[in-house]
Amino acid sequence: MTKTMTEAPALQVSGLWKRYGGTAALAGVDLSIAPGEILGLVGPNGAGKTTLISVVAGLLRPDQGTVRVAGVDAVAQPDAVRPLVGLAPQALGLYPTLTVRENLTFFARLAGMAPGDARARAASLGAAFGMAGSLGRRVQTLSAGEHRRIHVACAMAGRPRLLLLDEPTAGVDQAARADLLDAARSAAATGIAICYATHHLGEVEELGGSVAVLHHGRIVASGMVRSLLAAYARPVVELSFAGAPPAVAPGDGGVLQGDTLSIPTDDPGGTIARVVAAAGPDAARLRSVEVLRPGLGAVFAAVTGEPYPREAAPPEAAGAP
Amino acid sequence: MHRSRVVARQELVLLVRDPLPLVLLLAVPLVFIAFLKPAAFLALIVEGYPGTNGAEQAVPGAATTFSLFAVGLVGLSFFREHGWGTWPRLRAAASVSEVFVGKVAPLVAFALLQLGFLFAAGILAFGLRVRGSLGALALFCLPVAIASVALGLLLVGLVRTLPQLNACANLAAAVLAGMGGALMPLRLLPGWVRTVAPASPAYWAMRGFRSVLLDGGGMRALLLPGAVLSAFAALFFVVSLGFFKQRRRLGWG
Repeated sequence: MTKTMTEAPALQVSGLWKRYGGTAALAGVDLSIAPGEILGLVGPNGAGKTTLISVVAGLLRPDQGTVRVAGVDAVAQPDAVRPLVGLAPQALGLYPTLTVRENLTFFARLAGMAPGDARARAASLGAAFGMAGSLGRRVQTLSAGEHRRIHVACAMAGRPRLLLLDEPTAGVDQAARADLLDAARSAAATGIAICYATHHLGEVEELGGSVAVLHHGRIVASGMVRSLLAAYARPVVELSFAGAPPAVAPGDGGVLQGDTLSIPTDDPGGTIARVVAAAGPDAARLRSVEVLRPGLGAVFAAVTGEPYPREAAPPEAAGAP
Repeated sequence: MHRSRVVARQELVLLVRDPLPLVLLLAVPLVFIAFLKPAAFLALIVEGYPGTNGAEQAVPGAATTFSLFAVGLVGLSFFREHGWGTWPRLRAAASVSEVFVGKVAPLVAFALLQLGFLFAAGILAFGLRVRGSLGALALFCLPVAIASVALGLLLVGLVRTLPQLNACANLAAAVLAGMGGALMPLRLLPGWVRTVAPASPAYWAMRGFRSVLLDGGGMRALLLPGAVLSAFAALFFVVSLGFFKQRRRLGWG
């Protein structure tokens, strides 16, 4: 029995359906997360991410399919699964009139910890989230970034086997965002499996684990971020010239747009060298070179045939003039 | 049980952290008793209870009325979770029944404290004389408290916003207390009110209290009112649990 529990995926979702009236929010989702794995669950707003998280957390009953957390059937045995799951919903959920310590201790106690252990856990989470000095402060006095840190920390309070984070960086600044990503990595390093739902693709790329792309309630692509990028997204070299670019585009797929030449390539360095060599004296007119590294937005576009919604996508360019 | 205990402790901490509503629900009825006592004295004379001072009607009347006004606390306890966004994580960590028990227990305890405080204040400050069994009176406070809290749960199940809750809770408390004879003895009210009065839990609460305070009754006299109040509570619990299982979303406004 112990062996089975140890080897079971932290989360195993099979053939999951959830309908609202005639609309399928989840249409046969299959998903697996191993202990210590960070799975980025990405997709535009309305893709079904929050519904999936709500079903796994036991807040919604699926119409069809199975959800197993650490080998335990979450639908048939919700009481057994509750202590195994830590949930940080998209909307902040904290008790504003209580202190940070009281919030953390409450969720640790709910997960079954003894009072002393819960207080110790609150102290260690306070330190881990850079808020050791604020444990005695009432939550209502915290900043937005601090709210979000404690919101996520509360989900970890009960030492869950599976952590469900729904848009964990919503409304925070860059520093808090970086801290939250670090916290996710640290939690995963201790063996906690993380389902990290977000529409910010850059965060999932930064976490660098695996990813599942959810679109209209279906997983349309999944795998390691690296593998999906390699499979679906080629880098693009952009060379801008003073005046018209020389006609030197090597290979297929070069596109001229004004004074800029864009070339998709698997070898950006080699391509730049070849273009500069072929340009001869025209190379003196080269003003800038950029290597655009397509991200998960390109993967999404490739697998769905639709562009990733612009307002949801972070900048994907990485390069230098 | 563990999770219910944790939720109950949390509920107590939240109640104590913002004590003004509790203080008001304990203090204002004392003013109410002082206002009501002279008129209640005359009413009891008319009813044929010589040798009373009005506290025998005013104290249980205020206790019953303000026990009903406390239903707003029950509602607030649930709306607060929704307003603060803690309801989903609470529900992910505990079952509906565990949350129910955890939230209801401290509120029943407060309702008992409120009733006990008002009867004690009635005896010490308003000259209330208990002609029947004091133990029976104390025991009878339990179904009264549970029925009040259950009524609060029912209201939470019926409304969707905090303004709706406030309006319904205050209206329900005033109407049920009035038609149950908590504000004025039933015999002085119109015949149609006397006809519908048994539909109010306040009627059964007052009937029980008066049987001990005025008629010298004991446990036997409280059996029927206690049973009816328990039936009210059971009905309210079952109906409200049904509403909660529909997983409706509550909002501040």
